[in-house]
Amino acid sequence: MASAGSGDEKAAAAAMITLISSDNEKFEVTEATATLSQTIRHMIEDGCTDGGVPLPNVTSKILARVIEYCKKHATAAAGEEGSSSSFSDAAFLEVDRAFLEELEEFDDAFLEVDRATLFDLILAANYLDIKGLLNLTCQKVADSVKGKTPEQIREMYNIVNDLTPEEEAEIRRETQWAFE
Amino acid sequence: MAAPPPPPALMDELIEEFLLRLPPEDPARLVRAALVCKPWGRLVSCPRFRRRYREHHRTPPLLGFVQAARGSNSTCLTHFVSTSSFRPPRAELSGWIAIHSCHGRVLCYPPPVKPPEKRLLVWNLVTGEQRELPRLPWYPYLGASWNAAVLCAYSVGAGCSNLDCHHGPFVVVFVGTLRDKTVVGVYSSVTDAWGEPTFTQDRHKQFCLLTGSLVGNALYFNKMMGTKLLKYDLTTREISAINLPAQAPKWQIVLMAMEDGRLGFATMQESKLCLWSREDGQDGDARWEQSRIIELDALLPVQALSTEPRIVGCADGVEDILLGTRAGNFSVVLKSRRAKEIGLRGPGFGSFVVPVTSFCTPALETANSGEGSGAGASSA
Repeated sequence: MASAGSGDEKAAAAAMITLISSDNEKFEVTEATATLSQTIRHMIEDGCTDGGVPLPNVTSKILARVIEYCKKHATAAAGEEGSSSSFSDAAFLEVDRAFLEELEEFDDAFLEVDRATLFDLILAANYLDIKGLLNLTCQKVADSVKGKTPEQIREMYNIVNDLTPEEEAEIRRETQWAFE
Repeated sequence: MAAPPPPPALMDELIEEFLLRLPPEDPARLVRAALVCKPWGRLVSCPRFRRRYREHHRTPPLLGFVQAARGSNSTCLTHFVSTSSFRPPRAELSGWIAIHSCHGRVLCYPPPVKPPEKRLLVWNLVTGEQRELPRLPWYPYLGASWNAAVLCAYSVGAGCSNLDCHHGPFVVVFVGTLRDKTVVGVYSSVTDAWGEPTFTQDRHKQFCLLTGSLVGNALYFNKMMGTKLLKYDLTTREISAINLPAQAPKWQIVLMAMEDGRLGFATMQESKLCLWSREDGQDGDARWEQSRIIELDALLPVQALSTEPRIVGCADGVEDILLGTRAGNFSVVLKSRRAKEIGLRGPGFGSFVVPVTSFCTPALETANSGEGSGAGASSA
């Protein structure tokens, strides 16, 4: 498909990668966006992306979100590289700050998802090896247990308590300060 | 509408990724997570995770401050003021004043400062243990000016490679004057004795009882109104002098290990907090740069600046500076450029406060002994 073109078409297509979700939906993305994923970067380096990259572990719903994240962050990375010389230090810092703030806002909005989606995003970030996304999503889970008791954490994440009451009492004795 | 589907199960590897990101300055969160189920408890307690956790967060977090206050009957009372979720087994120690702290251990001396007996005590805030050190072998000949620091035996800079640091060996470095010489003595908890002292011909006087700073593998001590710092290299056991920048004020210099691992100090200039960092170069002609100036009027309430604030402590590595002001004590976090009020008793009691930093990753015995107890819990 993408590689079947010729001339100008081929040159333009060369920078595009097709990602195929588990439910067989195709997503055209730029190489800059796709290579935020180390997994895909390696595939490109090995020349295994002709005809699209099948991602059997990622549904179209999740892949669309992942691509949204990568697009934003790839633009941010490109912006950082390109703008450094054209501003005075102070102006650059100002632009830089506005940029980072915008990115932060994007990340915050991006994380407004239910837990099931959040976990799916973590699994996808791990599988695709996208460090920033893995960090962002895992941090969200870490933030979510702030001030929560073990019981509340179990409930939130649907975890079965396999500690006997004696074991639980023993651990609480060992670490009493954490429950005050 | 149907109830939302339960979240998918996360692989152990990913549970570890999230547990790794629990903030070290809220150590209770990690402990509570360890109590969720056996697999989480085992994961949090295993040395591999604890090592990764330290590597991920690098600098031990600030747990709180130790400050001396007047107790009942005018005795001196040293107490721990928490700025985190950490709570020590006991938070008060009567009859001692803190001078330095490292990874949860606090080095204390009995007031008043002057008598030459130089008794020292190490109070482990995490385990609650206290150990009074044997007397310095040369104490009858020591001058009145001195300083000392406690170090985990594995600490390099603010970091530490020993997972069992709170129960592991420690050293205490004492610096003082002995007739016309400067003397450095090192106590080891392993032998429970002071080793052979190191002397220099130069007599460094007037050590200021401000907390010394560990940067790389060297300890730095400050002097009253001095133009030089004293450096003690823990590896070579050499003592040397480091020049301070001529432009810096001669007082109110509080040493600290900067976040980037360089030696630095904080000083006040009216309502500005100025930070200096040491540049590369030989010790003899140390060069300094004024790395940051923080305008405090944007951070502190107006009343706090009615007189010049006093720097009462700096936490190594985390760049958290404690200021004593007319309107209370404020901790200024340089990274976030934020200030928050700390509930210390009174404006510093005329003495300095000692910041306490340490990792508190639980190593639960119950979790470790529960090995092989069936399939364990899992997400549904």
